[in-house]
Amino acid sequence: MLHVTIPPFPPPEMSSCFLDEETFCQCCQLLLQHSHSLCDGWSWEQVKGSEEGYLRKTALGTGRTRCNLDQQGNSSDQHQERTFSLSFHNDDDDDDEDDGAVCCIQEESSSSSVVQYEYHILYSCSYQTPVLYFRASTLEGRSLCLEEVWDSVHPNYRQRLQHRPWDTITQQEHPLLGQSFFVLHPCRTEEFMMPVLKAALEEHRQVNYIVTWLSVVGPVVGLDVPLSYCTQKHQWLCTRRLIDCK
Amino acid sequence: MADDKDVLRDVWFGRIPTCFTLYQDEITEREAEPFYLLLPRMSYLTLVTDKVKKHFLKVMKAEDIEEMWFDFEGTSLKWHYPIGLLFDLHASNTALPWSITVHFKNFPERDLLHCPSNSVIEAHFMSSIKEADALKHKSQVINDMQKKDHKQLWMGLQNVVLCSSDKFDQFWAMNRKLMEYPTEEGGFRYIPFRIYLTMSDRPFIQKLFRPISPDGHTHTLGDLLKEVYPVAIPNDDESKHYQVVIHGIEPLLETPLQWLSEHLSHPDNFLHISVIPAPSD
Repeated sequence: MLHVTIPPFPPPEMSSCFLDEETFCQCCQLLLQHSHSLCDGWSWEQVKGSEEGYLRKTALGTGRTRCNLDQQGNSSDQHQERTFSLSFHNDDDDDDEDDGAVCCIQEESSSSSVVQYEYHILYSCSYQTPVLYFRASTLEGRSLCLEEVWDSVHPNYRQRLQHRPWDTITQQEHPLLGQSFFVLHPCRTEEFMMPVLKAALEEHRQVNYIVTWLSVVGPVVGLDVPLSYCTQKHQWLCTRRLIDCK
Repeated sequence: MADDKDVLRDVWFGRIPTCFTLYQDEITEREAEPFYLLLPRMSYLTLVTDKVKKHFLKVMKAEDIEEMWFDFEGTSLKWHYPIGLLFDLHASNTALPWSITVHFKNFPERDLLHCPSNSVIEAHFMSSIKEADALKHKSQVINDMQKKDHKQLWMGLQNVVLCSSDKFDQFWAMNRKLMEYPTEEGGFRYIPFRIYLTMSDRPFIQKLFRPISPDGHTHTLGDLLKEVYPVAIPNDDESKHYQVVIHGIEPLLETPLQWLSEHLSHPDNFLHISVIPAPSD
């Protein structure tokens, strides 16, 4: 059992609910403890020569992949119809210099298949929130392209992602590994975390920021958080002081 | 200050003479000539290399063309890094023109981001600006701007390839708002910076760092390095092992960080700093 003194979370002044890096690490360690008891695969990866690190987990899931792509992800199909368009903005700027199709998936040419996912939870010091990075590949080792990742998002979540550019999934460079990952943009995190943390404050409950946050963003990309993460007492931060809200 | 505005112009108009050569294993119908281009330091590879693609397309069959990507001496070049940064990081102490190899096959999926259209470059650029403002102003300035103001920043960047004073003014008319701060604060909340390393798995270091210390002391470039990457600063008795490069120059370590952020940031509002091995004599 981890014996540390952790400051109360949510913090007394609730004008903002930013997560500092130290609390991020502590929340991650608590999550890890419960993960070990469930054997559900989370590990902590430390950056060489630094105190920074991230949570990591691999899992098999389902996704929709294009069945006619070769090892490099290129289509052997001559036809690529635009049935599903992927721009963030209404592109009225000049696009005739573009390479051509933002490639799309026809219903008939994609199918449900087993996909290997790798999830990383990192801390963003710019937004002072956690950020979910992930990558996905077929069992043959081919990386899924962004379009396939979009297609694999559960229909319930897809509409939300399409209409709000800052909630979207994009390809980004992993800040610690330098490799290509997909990312759920973090800048709206405060919007959905705030009501949860405020409620916890009013009811004198304490929360694990990472567990709460993950239970919101994880399912969008196929990562479920078992309920026991929230019900196990040792998942709450250790301090039992009541918080006075000023 | 008149001098300071000149710095902004010099940075904006920086160019790198580049020679693009087709990778030898690409399948061509006849021999491909190399293509020469002056690349703007401020822009991104995929934004300014349509001419390169068109040039090589002339000697290739359509079925042999996939997404174009570039390498320099075996290192694949990340299009989402500003061109000037890529040069400083990988080719600083090599002879000009910068020799880049062009590929149309075997895209390195794990290492490079895909760039299917200009929208992706725009989204990436705006995302960096947004992140920089989160650090400088808790996102207040960027969130107060309208969509057309965001577009003006993007249009300004797209036009950096044109050597036009108007485009510089167009960009800075909007960007200057992102460079303001309350006088009583003395500077931004935190400085948006990334220190890029060549001798590490980690691509860059980015941390929270204030331009002014709590007791009012102005932080310098040297203070930043001492705090987040002390390896870059030589001990007094040692010779210099590393160069700290921004826009192709080595600023004095005594330069105030706030000044650097206001004058030597890229259009994405980040200070991109390269730490590279010093050339051995």
